[in-house]
Amino acid sequence: MKYKENGSELTIYFEGHIDSANAKEIEDEISAVKEKVRPDKLVIDCENLQYISSAGLRIVLRLMKEIKPITIVNVSSDVYEIFDMTGFTEMAEVRKAYRKVSVDGCEIIGKGANGTVFRIDRDTIVKVYVNPDSLPEIQRERELARKAFVLGIPTAIPYDVVRVGEGYGSVFELLSAKSLAEILSKDPGQFDSVLKYSVDLLKTIHSKELPKGEMPDCKATVLGWVDFLKDYLPEAQYNKLKALVEAVPEDNHIMHGDYHMKNVMLQDGEALLIDMDTLCLGHPVFEFGSIYNSYIGYSELDPENVRKFLGISFETAKQIWDRTVRSYFGSDDEDFIRSVKDKAKVVGYTRVMRRAIRRGSMSDPATLAVVNNCRKHFDELLPRVDTLEF
Amino acid sequence: MALKKKGERLMNITKNREENKLTVTVEGKIDSVTAPEFEEFIKENIDGVTELTLDLSSLDYISSAGLRVLLLTQKRMNAQGTMKVTNVNETVSEIFEVTGFSDILTIG
Repeated sequence: MKYKENGSELTIYFEGHIDSANAKEIEDEISAVKEKVRPDKLVIDCENLQYISSAGLRIVLRLMKEIKPITIVNVSSDVYEIFDMTGFTEMAEVRKAYRKVSVDGCEIIGKGANGTVFRIDRDTIVKVYVNPDSLPEIQRERELARKAFVLGIPTAIPYDVVRVGEGYGSVFELLSAKSLAEILSKDPGQFDSVLKYSVDLLKTIHSKELPKGEMPDCKATVLGWVDFLKDYLPEAQYNKLKALVEAVPEDNHIMHGDYHMKNVMLQDGEALLIDMDTLCLGHPVFEFGSIYNSYIGYSELDPENVRKFLGISFETAKQIWDRTVRSYFGSDDEDFIRSVKDKAKVVGYTRVMRRAIRRGSMSDPATLAVVNNCRKHFDELLPRVDTLEF
Repeated sequence: MALKKKGERLMNITKNREENKLTVTVEGKIDSVTAPEFEEFIKENIDGVTELTLDLSSLDYISSAGLRVLLLTQKRMNAQGTMKVTNVNETVSEIFEVTGFSDILTIG
C-alpha cells in the first residue's frame, strides 16, 4: 500500500476495488504502516479508488475508532455516493475530488506571473496556476471574491476549483469585456468616461463594510512595510512614519488593494472588478497610496514602466491620478487636494522603498536610485504631514 | 453547450400572479446580455409581493450578472416578504453550490 508521512499525519492511498476479497490483506498492511508511523491524524486518499464494499467500509470504521481526525479526500462521485448512503459523510470529513479539466488545444486568453488563462467553452475560462501548491492561494482568492460579490461589488464570481494536470485551476465565466486601460490606450478621447467608471466603482467598493477579520487588515500590512524600513530610514523619520500609520483609525471598509485601470473590466456598460486577491479592510488612505504607485510611484524614475504596465503615457497616468483624487472627493480645493495626495504619497513611498530593497540590493545603482528618491520624498513629506486621515 | 442561432431568444420570462403571490419562470440563460431585462422584469412586478417564487426548471445557465440580480431580489424580498427558488436543475444547482449561493437562497 502506498502511503505518505508528514510529521504525525499519515496519508494512505486506497486503490482499485476494496471488497471482501482483499479487505483483510489491506487492513494488515495499514496496521503495519500504523505501527511504524503512529499517526495522530489520518488522511485516506481515494483518487484511484473505484469501489469500496461494506468489508472496506468496516476497515474505515475501525480506523475511525482508533485515530481522530480522519479525513477522506479525492473521492470520485461514485465512491462519494457510497460514503454518503452509508452515513460516513456525517462521521468524517469526506471531500469530493476536484473535477478534472483538460486544456489541451484550448485557446489561451492571457498569461500572467501566476498562471495562464484558457477558454474551456463558450461561457467559461479557467485560470491555471503555475505553482502546483497553489491550492490555499486559490481558495483564499475565491473566498475574498465571493465575499465581495455577496456584498454587491460588481465582479465575476468564481465557479469551481478544478484539477488541471498536476496543478489546479479556478473556473470563471468569460467576460466579454475590455479593461479600462485597454480602452483608454486605444482611444485617449475616452478619458472622461473611463475615469468616471473607475471612480464610481472605487466609491462602490469603499462603501462596503465587513466585520473586522473577514478580510486582511490593510493597516497591519502597511505597518509591516514600515517596520521593514527601520534600518533604512533615519530614526526620527522612521518613528514619525510609524506613528502616522499607527494613528490611522480602525476602519472596516473594503479596499481593493491594487486598484488601477487594468483591474476594471467594462462589460455591456458595467464596470466589473477583477483580481480580488489583494482585498483588505481599512482606511481609504491605504488604497490611495497604492493608486498613487500604480500611476506615478513605480514609474517616477522610469516613465516607461507605466506604458509597459497600463499602455498609457506617464503624462496621462499623472492626469488620471490627479483627476481620480478630485473626482473621488468631489473637490477642487487645492489645499485639500494637495493634503490628500501628500498622505497617499507617504503610504505609497513606504511601499516603493520596501519593494525596491526587497527585489534588488542596496549595492545596485538602480535600487539605490529608487531608495534615494523615496528618502527625498520623505524629507519633504514627513515634516508637513501630521495625520494620514482625511 | 451548442451555439444559439442568431435571433433566437436567449431568455424567456413568464409570470403568474395571485394576489400577493408571484411566481416567475425563467427559461434559457441569464447572463450579462439578458440579466438587465430580468432585473427590469422583477422591478416592474415585485410591488406588493410578499411571496415570490422563482421557477428555474428550464434555466440552462446563470452567470455572475444573473446571480447579482438574484442577490438584489433576495435583499428586496427580505424587506417585504419571502423568496423561494424552485425546480433548480443540476447545472444551475452546481453553480449555486460552488458559488456559495445555496447558503444565501432558499432553494426548495
